[in-house]
Amino acid sequence: MKATEKVVPVTEQKDVDWDKYLAAYYEKPKSSLTWSGLDVKEVYTPEDLPLEKYNDIGDPGQYPFTRGIHRNMFRGRYWTRREVIGMGSPQDTHDRSKILVEEGGSGLNTIADIPYEMGLDADHPWAQNEVGLTGVCITNMYDMETMTADIPLDKVSWSLITASTVAVVTMAQYAAVAKKRGYDLKKLRGTVQNDPVHFRYCGFRPACPLDLSVKLGADVMEYCTKEMPLWYYTTVNLYDLREQGVTAPQEVAFGFLIARLYIDEMIRRGYKVDDFMQRFAFYVSCHIDIFEEVSKIRAARRIWAKLMKEHYGAQKASSQQFRFAVHTAGCSLVPQQPLNNIVRIAYQALAAVLGGVQSLHCTSYDEPVCLPTENGHTQALRTQQILAYETGVTNVSDPLGGSYYVENLTNKLEEEIYKIMAEVDKVGGMYEAIRTEWLDRVFEKEALTRQKEIDDLDKILVGVNMFTTEQETTTPLGVQRISKASVKRQIEMVKKLKKERNQALWKEKILALKAAAERRENVLPYMIEATEAGATTGEMMGAVRLAYGYPYDPIEIIEAPF
Amino acid sequence: MVKRKIRIMIAKPGLDGHDRGARVLARCFRDAGFEVIYTGCHQTPEQIAAAAIQEDVDVVGLSCLSGAHRYLFPAVKKILDEKDADDITVIGGGIIPEQDFQVLYDAGIKALFTPGATLEGYRGLGPREHRGKDMKGSMHFFK
Repeated sequence: MKATEKVVPVTEQKDVDWDKYLAAYYEKPKSSLTWSGLDVKEVYTPEDLPLEKYNDIGDPGQYPFTRGIHRNMFRGRYWTRREVIGMGSPQDTHDRSKILVEEGGSGLNTIADIPYEMGLDADHPWAQNEVGLTGVCITNMYDMETMTADIPLDKVSWSLITASTVAVVTMAQYAAVAKKRGYDLKKLRGTVQNDPVHFRYCGFRPACPLDLSVKLGADVMEYCTKEMPLWYYTTVNLYDLREQGVTAPQEVAFGFLIARLYIDEMIRRGYKVDDFMQRFAFYVSCHIDIFEEVSKIRAARRIWAKLMKEHYGAQKASSQQFRFAVHTAGCSLVPQQPLNNIVRIAYQALAAVLGGVQSLHCTSYDEPVCLPTENGHTQALRTQQILAYETGVTNVSDPLGGSYYVENLTNKLEEEIYKIMAEVDKVGGMYEAIRTEWLDRVFEKEALTRQKEIDDLDKILVGVNMFTTEQETTTPLGVQRISKASVKRQIEMVKKLKKERNQALWKEKILALKAAAERRENVLPYMIEATEAGATTGEMMGAVRLAYGYPYDPIEIIEAPF
Repeated sequence: MVKRKIRIMIAKPGLDGHDRGARVLARCFRDAGFEVIYTGCHQTPEQIAAAAIQEDVDVVGLSCLSGAHRYLFPAVKKILDEKDADDITVIGGGIIPEQDFQVLYDAGIKALFTPGATLEGYRGLGPREHRGKDMKGSMHFFK
């Protein structure tokens, strides 16, 4: 078959402004600040990196891990190519996940939708028009079975992105399904995001009361440490904080202080850091300023190692190491000239890999327009594959290590991060900074500053405040829609389950869960049993919420059915 | 003659919690001399319409990044119309594909703002003569 030739019309000639052309020839950058506003010099020399300081940097794989957590880095294993997927029904999400596995993805990664993150069942009156729009809604064990059907759980590493207090439910649902299918929980690999404290800043405050956030976060950590030792029981989410508009050093400082809330809770429960820190991980943003992002990651590794060793007395290397996944910065993408986003994402992914990332998600270039289309998703995976297989970046560990500039910027970011941490200390620590809404005010101020930088041309966004063109009339790859029929079917299934389950057993298990929460026990084992007895996400969260004095329903419109 | 300040309500309908844009806008409009009411997250279309009428606003700005705009924006406009408040201008913003513009326009939404919109563009809402003129980037004013 002959390919059809598409004739592209030549753009109509316009009068060229030659003075502007000449000005462009001589133009130089207006600003020499980094994205986060750090002032940098025009050149760095050996004076900026005295050799005697090398001990504070260390080789890759050596304390304080500035240069990476493994000596051989990507020679040992590529980073995990893990694209986030979540759309429509559990079946739709399952199908898209398998497509990306077939295209060469190396880790599964599913994200919850808004009702699920809020702890609402798919049949909640507020949820019905929002199920599946931004992720997948798992209301019960059968939804989880559908999403994971025919995928060998002992051969995959599955990242479950449920960040809110509902992460504990997700873990229970996954464990219940794995048990039913005969898998040994101790051998399962994967990750659950489980960082409810940060999630209050993503609009989920009613679902994430502060005390319950710390308690349930630690419950998952405690359960997995004992029963699922290969499972990464949290990825503390620095990324979402950055998406609020804060700077690179603020991202690390605030994220680390939130991470410490969970660690301190585990210590309060009687654990030592070396008992449980081996499976603690982070989720980091990579924005567009390549050198700043690499330096941020290097500084984060050094600070974390020192904090764990010096403050918490961690002896094992695995409890001192800052392990992290990267999500390229969604907030840096714009719908104007959308193909440009592919380039932005590629630079951000490069920064992640130069920084020694463990697992990477590249955003899809169509995300400022809609959920990723299948082609958008695949293209994002291809960006990772070009980086991994074509560019040669995998050859050498920490290739920017020893650069006068990067080492200096790493030191500078380290200083900034410590300074911001000290500011939080001054307001009484992170718990108080959150409780008093000090942190809210910081986020608001920074978000406004970021917008003004674009408006005032202090930061350039190609296609937005420079080199603009007429608005494109279409997105090149079309729009991803959610199948209304499959979502409707899911909601019907939930209603049916609630009617047809063994009501006596269900009630016994849900009340046992509530009683355990009242006794302040770890609720996860009780949630597994309740899940097996047909209890739903909303019911289990509701039981725990009631035990802690919160309304059963975060939206406060439905009553407890028990 | 003292001109009455334009009153605008920024609202987050439905469950969507992406509120960075809404909060930035609320601050921006305030700084530009508007009277601003921000509802916060998790409001029903009914609640937003009732508040808009009670507060006697000129403009309601709806923000939604979850994809539920197709249902939520028209719902707010419909309730306002039913309550004889069709003089309130309804605009919207969020992750909204161009393919949805016509549907929202037909439902009576007067302007849409997507990522990359500048604050200057929003301020154009104030003096009426600027409306729809020279709008580039992410501002879509329906004539």
